[in-house]
Amino acid sequence: MVDPATTPLGKMLLDEITPVVMVLRTPLVEESCGKNGISLLQMLSPFCNFSNIDVPVRTASDQPYRLHKFKLRLVYESDIRHPNLEVAKEQLKQVITRTGEKELSELGSDPTEISDVVGRSESEILPSWFQLFNKELMHTVSFSEHEAFDHPVACLLVVSSEDEQPINRFIDLFNTNKLPSLLNDGAMDPKILKHYLLVHDNQDGPSEKYSCLSCYPVVVHCAASKILTEMRSTFGPNDCQLLCINSSEDGRIEREDNPWASHESDASPSKHLGSFLNNDDFSEIKDVMQELASKHIIPYMEQKIRVLNQQVSATRKGFRNQLKNLWWRKGKEETSDSPNGPMYTFSSIESQIRILGDYAFMLRDYELALSNYRLISTDYKLDKAWKRYAGVQEMMGLAYFMLDQSRKEAEYCMENAFTTYAKIGSSGQQNATRCGLWWVEMLKARHQYKDAATVYFRICGEEPLHSAVMLEQASYCYLLSKPPMLHKYGFHLVLSGDRYKKCDQINHAIRTYRSAVSVYKGTTWSHIKDHVHFHIGQWYAVLGMHDIAVAHMLEVLDCSHQSKTTQELFLRDFLQVVQKTGKTFEVVKPRLPIINISSLKVIFEDHRTYASAEAANVRESLWRSLEEDMIPSLSTARSNWLELQSKLITKKFEESNICVAGEPVKVDIEFKNPLQIPISISNISLICELSTRSDEMESDSNSSTTELQNDEESKLLTTTGEMNSDTSSFTLSEVDISLGGAETILVQLMVTPKVEGILKIVGVRWRLSGSLVGVYNFESNLVKKKIAKGRRKVKSSPSNDLKFIVIKSLPKLEGLIHPLPERAYAGDLRHLVLELRNQSDFSVKNLKMKVSHPRFLSIGDRDDMTKEFPACLQKMTNAEQSVAGGNFNKMPQAVFSFPEGISIQGETPLLWPLWYRAAVPGKISLSITIYYEMGDVSSVIKYRLLRMHYNLEVLPSLNASFQISPWSSRLQQYLVRMDVVNQTSSENFQIHQLSSVGHQWEISLLQPFDSIFPSESLFAGQALSCFFMLKNRGESTTSSDDTSSPSCLLGRDVSLQGTADTLFDISGSPLADFHAHERLLQSVSQDDTNTVDFIFISQPSKSDSDSGISDPQHLFSHHTCHCSILGKTPITWLVDGPRTLHHNFNASFCEVNLKMTIYNSSDAAMFVRVNTFDSPSSSGQTSEATSPRSAVPSGNQAGWHDVPVLTDIKVTSQLPLNQVKRSSLLESVSPFIWSGSSASSVRLQPMSTTDIAMKVCLFSPGTYDLSNYALNWKLLTISGQGNEGETRQSSGSCPGYPYFLTVLQAS
Amino acid sequence: MATTACFIIVSRNEIPIYEAEVGSAVKREDAAQLHQFILHAALDIVQDLAWTTSAMFLKAIDRFNDLVVSVYVTAGHTRFMLLHDSRNDDGIKSFFQEVHELYIKILLNPLYLPGSRITSSHFDTKVRALARKYL
Repeated sequence: MVDPATTPLGKMLLDEITPVVMVLRTPLVEESCGKNGISLLQMLSPFCNFSNIDVPVRTASDQPYRLHKFKLRLVYESDIRHPNLEVAKEQLKQVITRTGEKELSELGSDPTEISDVVGRSESEILPSWFQLFNKELMHTVSFSEHEAFDHPVACLLVVSSEDEQPINRFIDLFNTNKLPSLLNDGAMDPKILKHYLLVHDNQDGPSEKYSCLSCYPVVVHCAASKILTEMRSTFGPNDCQLLCINSSEDGRIEREDNPWASHESDASPSKHLGSFLNNDDFSEIKDVMQELASKHIIPYMEQKIRVLNQQVSATRKGFRNQLKNLWWRKGKEETSDSPNGPMYTFSSIESQIRILGDYAFMLRDYELALSNYRLISTDYKLDKAWKRYAGVQEMMGLAYFMLDQSRKEAEYCMENAFTTYAKIGSSGQQNATRCGLWWVEMLKARHQYKDAATVYFRICGEEPLHSAVMLEQASYCYLLSKPPMLHKYGFHLVLSGDRYKKCDQINHAIRTYRSAVSVYKGTTWSHIKDHVHFHIGQWYAVLGMHDIAVAHMLEVLDCSHQSKTTQELFLRDFLQVVQKTGKTFEVVKPRLPIINISSLKVIFEDHRTYASAEAANVRESLWRSLEEDMIPSLSTARSNWLELQSKLITKKFEESNICVAGEPVKVDIEFKNPLQIPISISNISLICELSTRSDEMESDSNSSTTELQNDEESKLLTTTGEMNSDTSSFTLSEVDISLGGAETILVQLMVTPKVEGILKIVGVRWRLSGSLVGVYNFESNLVKKKIAKGRRKVKSSPSNDLKFIVIKSLPKLEGLIHPLPERAYAGDLRHLVLELRNQSDFSVKNLKMKVSHPRFLSIGDRDDMTKEFPACLQKMTNAEQSVAGGNFNKMPQAVFSFPEGISIQGETPLLWPLWYRAAVPGKISLSITIYYEMGDVSSVIKYRLLRMHYNLEVLPSLNASFQISPWSSRLQQYLVRMDVVNQTSSENFQIHQLSSVGHQWEISLLQPFDSIFPSESLFAGQALSCFFMLKNRGESTTSSDDTSSPSCLLGRDVSLQGTADTLFDISGSPLADFHAHERLLQSVSQDDTNTVDFIFISQPSKSDSDSGISDPQHLFSHHTCHCSILGKTPITWLVDGPRTLHHNFNASFCEVNLKMTIYNSSDAAMFVRVNTFDSPSSSGQTSEATSPRSAVPSGNQAGWHDVPVLTDIKVTSQLPLNQVKRSSLLESVSPFIWSGSSASSVRLQPMSTTDIAMKVCLFSPGTYDLSNYALNWKLLTISGQGNEGETRQSSGSCPGYPYFLTVLQAS
Repeated sequence: MATTACFIIVSRNEIPIYEAEVGSAVKREDAAQLHQFILHAALDIVQDLAWTTSAMFLKAIDRFNDLVVSVYVTAGHTRFMLLHDSRNDDGIKSFFQEVHELYIKILLNPLYLPGSRITSSHFDTKVRALARKYL
């Protein structure tokens, strides 16, 4: 442990707690001193610090000790009072402001790294003015009445020799009404040690030259010496002294170590302080002061200590006294309730103990001081004299510290004092501060920096300036603690900075924040970062240091976590600062807006060109698969142009991307606004370099020069030998956008190279809110970029992806399909036009085209262009139809080649018809690719591709479903039930026609359409069912081959329209084409030849032609393919016979002959057995009546195979109607019997019919249902069809149809 | 429910990975940054205290005016820091323990990289519910 006296606190205490000498002087004394530019006090003060005296001191104990250093504090009598708080504050403020100004110059420099700061020692870190400030702060509470060490110990009366009647002046000076209140109101003893000093100004002496050099003190000015003797006789010989000053006549004395140097700044610099004081004066002053201290003050104090000590021991020491005291205090308790406790006069024992303690402290007898402080503190506590108690505790703490004992005690005392001061309210605030400062110093001396910091924090009061300084000191304490507490350091710096700012000490505020920035550098605590950078930026801006301000403000721009108002504030302030700077800042990679580098997408066109941006976004692989069979095989194509270009393009650039001069390279990049407030970004453009290639590629670096287009105004153009154009070799597009809150906008930027060479895209630049230029270099961060249209290379560095070889311009086709609807209802059939343009002068040839979804889009014939839609589809006369049917054969081919000789050039576009049909509801992406070759063979790229892409949406419209069931009463005829539902929400449709496809089918209406559906148009949500009759014309063997090929789409049409009887020709080109595709796509696995295709045609209702989507020119075609006959068995049969007869039952029973015609529609021979059940009460009948399922087992008993459940359901589903009738008949009608054989078997050849004769006997008149028979059939399986047997039924049984026979009694 | 409370999870390398203002008081504009400052400053003390005890809950370790910082340090040195103005040690302890469980569940997520920001909305709602329950 170091000696407490050498610690900062020790030094401070030795400095501050020293005897006070009150100085009383006459105005003439001041005048004489004033010649030197200093006051009397200033003149004497430097000599009150005695560093090498040797005075023996004997206080209470008998053991004397020696003082080697001593100090007196000289104070004018007028200053011995409570300092004015306002004045003190002003003074403190000035201290701070002055130092703040000094530091202004440093603020521009970069903040030091925190790691550098940590290792430094205290003196390096702490600004030196802190001590000054703390001292000033402590002085604000001096001369309090409760502390004796500020009470004057002695009084120095100074009178000039020029004064008239100096003796009287001396007496006058110690006039009570001039004395400070401390002496007058009884707080201290007015009987005080007096010392009389006569000042003689040698310049004012008589004219005779008089030197003090050798004659002091013998030879003095006669007048002065006369006064001195007079004084001695009056005041006593020892207490009077003479001081001669201003011995130098010319005032040219200059010294190296001017003791008044510290006051120099106050006076004008020309005048030298103390210039009239020569060396003799110096030594004289010194001697006077030293004598005062050692001969008068110290002995006086010793004396007093001894006296007081005796008194105290007599009254207070010892057990008896203590008891007595306690008793007495207790008795007094009731009376004392003034806030500061009772008033203690100097004569009271408490005051005397305090004086004793303080004097002992000042004479460094800390043991004595401590014992007395202890003694008195309990008294004060009992008296509730809190301020005095606190003061004593404070002194106890200091005494403990100086004794270097019991740290705990010392700290406890200081804490106690501090809290007590704080408790007594505002009057104790200043004292608390001083106490705290001492406490802090005490902790610091023991390296308890952390505790010191908390004390600093505690002493920061309401006064912002004061607390700012305290907090700053606290922060340094945290920094100095081991290990350094950097978080706390930063936090307290910020707190302090805020308070500095509150009292307009911006320089200090910046200084603290600057240190804080180094702590919080790179922090992820977002609010902290924003706060620090924003405020320091703001303050720098206030000081006019805009550059640094902008640098700090840039840090906070990305403040998405802040509230909207804060974001607005940040941005507004930032822009204001930027504007104030008056220049445009260029910032690389600023935080606002955010560039989404992963969204970077480069679209360029080499041999692949795109009709729209959508097309460019489609995956390359899709295009590739689409174009597979169109383009010449890759290897040949590549080798071809390599051969051609081997001289032009070296291996180095082979892997580079190629773009064509005059055609733009597009770059898509996303700008994201992280804020909630809109920002405007203007002048977004690419930064590009285009180096023109010389002919010899090898020396590329020498001959090629880079042209960097920096800004629109300032073009940095270096011309080359071959290119000396003053215009730029490429053009850039500029985009202005406004980003809303949290919005992300994809910006497309373009660069169009004009000359051949190597184009490199370096980055992107923009202007934020018109003032800040942001630059983002793509290269700088080696993020893996997604190049949408990269070539077939795996190992491509990102830099290569942004590098392009510019080749000379080529023809380029531009394509457009119009009017392609984005949304259409399913079935919509339209006539579209493909328009191809070639802007260049060179022609293109050998055009080919392929569509990804031929179901939706088919390529028409050139003649279709002129035709009118939909009139061209209407049925024409037979002669015309045959002509039109000629061109079917080209349709199914995948690639459509435009006729030879078509070349597109110049202004005239090529128009080509297309047919569009919205086949199925949903969203489809339709891709069309057009291949063309250059007319000019010498070009680098031989062919190009035009890729078109459309996203279409198809909405559900009408849904037609068909159900075909055999017609029981007619052979080879079927009943077709069509269910049409309008699935739209608003559209109305007019049903136009239904066509069956194929020669063998003939469709007709069962009843006039008007009667079923008079309104003709189907409203939204409406459903319609109607029945048709379908007839097989029996040409199935031939037609089955024909229907598979689309060439023959001859069919039968039924007009479903009442008025207009114009039918559409389903064999016409678009309808037939689309039907072929539908057939392919709707094909079912079971290839049953007996299936029917239907085409249902409707038109939008004429009434709602105003809605945009339905043009009256539209046609809706719905294709339903492969409709098979429901519940169809290979056999169909027909029971033929009379329906009604008259018979006279009185004569005999009635015998009716029936004929059953059975037709085998399958392609294999089969056995058919007809079983008749005679008795209605037979097991077959009853079981059938109760449960329809058991009808099949009855068949099984006859030895047939089990029937799959599927057919079982199909069969039985037709039954219920029959059964109900039958069961009712069973009860009312008497039975009939089948006559003839009960079972007959026949073998049927494929596609053949046979007749079986049947007979039934009836016994009474009535209506009979002759359905109680069943047909069992079994295919004679052909060996080659074994694999199909799984899906095809090989056997089955069919119950009979109801056949009603009515027999009436003949009269 | 405390009038002011701010809960932050700080990863071992002193990066805040989760922040929530869970107080019932009306939000003040500058409260968020003050809370961050206080909690950030308290990290120093956590550092000192974490090694002096085997308990995870360090109780109230720091204060700023009337705001108290309570800290819970997990075994992996992730620090749960709660700034609050109510004195409810038991509640805070249970709060921390339950949040620790939630945090462990987050850690068990194979897609969560330890030390990265916790963005799970489920976690957020759970923590807020716990805050309502205990604080």
